[in-house]
Amino acid sequence: MYEPSAIAGLVVTAVLTAGLYALMSYGLALVYGVMKIINLAHAGTMMLSAFVVLELNHRFHLDPILGAAVSAALFLGIGMLLYVLAVRRVIGAPPIASLLLLFGVWLCAQNAAYFFWGSEDQSIVTAYTLATIPLGGVPVPVVRLIPFLASLVALGVLSWFLRSTDLGKAIRAVSQNSTAARLAGIRAERVGTIAFGIGSSLSAFAGGLLTLLFSFNPDFGHTLQLKSFAIIVLGGLESFPGVALGAVVLAAIESFSILIPGWRGSLVNLLAFSLLVAALVLLPGGIASLLERRGKTE
Amino acid sequence: MRLWAPIALVIVLALFPVVFPAELNYLGLGFLTFIFVTLAVSWNMVGGYAGQVSFGYAAFFGTAAYVTAILWRNGWDPILTLPFAGLAAVAVALLVGLPCFRLLGPYFSIATIGIGETSRILALNLDQLTGGASGLNLPLSVPSKPWFYWSGLALAGVAVGVSAWLRASRIGLGLFALRMDQDAAESVGLNSTLYKHIAHCVSAFLVGVAAGLYVVYLSYIHPDTVFSFTLSISMVLMGVIGGVGTLWGPVLGATIYLPLQQLLLAQPNLVAVNQLIFGGLLIAIVLFEPGGLLGLLRRLAHR
Repeated sequence: MYEPSAIAGLVVTAVLTAGLYALMSYGLALVYGVMKIINLAHAGTMMLSAFVVLELNHRFHLDPILGAAVSAALFLGIGMLLYVLAVRRVIGAPPIASLLLLFGVWLCAQNAAYFFWGSEDQSIVTAYTLATIPLGGVPVPVVRLIPFLASLVALGVLSWFLRSTDLGKAIRAVSQNSTAARLAGIRAERVGTIAFGIGSSLSAFAGGLLTLLFSFNPDFGHTLQLKSFAIIVLGGLESFPGVALGAVVLAAIESFSILIPGWRGSLVNLLAFSLLVAALVLLPGGIASLLERRGKTE
Repeated sequence: MRLWAPIALVIVLALFPVVFPAELNYLGLGFLTFIFVTLAVSWNMVGGYAGQVSFGYAAFFGTAAYVTAILWRNGWDPILTLPFAGLAAVAVALLVGLPCFRLLGPYFSIATIGIGETSRILALNLDQLTGGASGLNLPLSVPSKPWFYWSGLALAGVAVGVSAWLRASRIGLGLFALRMDQDAAESVGLNSTLYKHIAHCVSAFLVGVAAGLYVVYLSYIHPDTVFSFTLSISMVLMGVIGGVGTLWGPVLGATIYLPLQQLLLAQPNLVAVNQLIFGGLLIAIVLFEPGGLLGLLRRLAHR
């Protein structure tokens, strides 16, 4: 009933989308890992970064890919500042405090964007917006390939950073056991500052690259943020390979949903949101914990 | 607080349409404020008393609003639909609570964001039933503005009364206990899930009735307004800004939130800063005064 080439197209779409989804979820996983808080300002960061890239593109004709890099550097600083000024104060408090605080930051970011850029949809058109590269007989849009490759690079760099540098080891130590890390002489406060900065920077990088694919307005990021939550919950909340796995699962489900008879495109976000609730309730340790449990009982 | 003060407040508010019968705009504003007081007070039963901060109350509001709208279009008297709107919201609350009360703290909150958005997308796509993206026009509402004002006031009064009763009851004590330490509360034999469900259902019923009344007032319904994330957020904001977990905090929060929002939305150059004020207030309250504005007032009074 379905052509093999159509299925191949779906597989390619799923893989590319998975890269995009992973890229926008790394930052959330890093922040959760180190300070066990859910960064509700993630959507705001992605959205503001998209507007930064837009401004850089309009004023200096900077390519969105370079713009995303500049924006990532900018948000490294903004994220650290936000941590020092506000987030730091709610780390020991009941978890709901940090959730509400970062939610307030998101609301403010959203309204600041309304104030400066208005509510119209914005988009960035580049020379390669409509270009495609044939990959195994399937034409692949360049703008989908770029975030995918960026995601792979980011995963590689992050893994290397966390494994091989002193700072990366300190971040891992704090996320495994913050008290023990303190006892070993790690300044958990400073590690938190840097981790929040890197997390914001990753969100900003993702938001910047998303301008290649989507038009955006100050509400941009809300749906994507919920998808990121679904992904990191599926991935076990703090592991980067887990994020990649969660992204693949969500992207595959979304891409193949069109094979369901009577399916409508407008229902696609329903999958991510239901998956979020289902994963939270049924798989609190993520997919990996499911596999582990299976392994132990056998 | 003693009983006479709230009763006097209700009497004064109830006399307003009699003294100023021509101020129709203020009656409309009053009605909306009473609806939002009801929402905030109801939300606070779960978000405050039980400490389960939900970002998904639009799912109750929207479902109940549609129950009223659809029954009304089928020839029912709109006022008779209100209890059914409330019951529909209770049904949704049970459906949401069964899986979500297995989650704690922030995980519960995140799941409810997912629930709220899921319900909105479902409503947009069930266009046979809901009118989808074009909404539904309803018969022009019959009652007069003072009537809406008085029914809104009555509903808000009932909500505050129920909230006060719940707070003083055995259930309220159970909710406070599980908010402070769920494991400790359960270890002394408290069925925390049951208590959360009770608070959730009571609060959903009141939200549902408020939603029905709101739809009768507007005579128009659209999935993006009655299921909107902004609506869910507004309940969180009113509760937290006013003073989460207190009886009068959400009342204070709503009487500040709604009129201020209407004022800002009416000014073209201030529309953009509408949520900025509340977002900023939320940040300030989390950082400096977790008791909300009511906590701040109390602190100033004790000085």
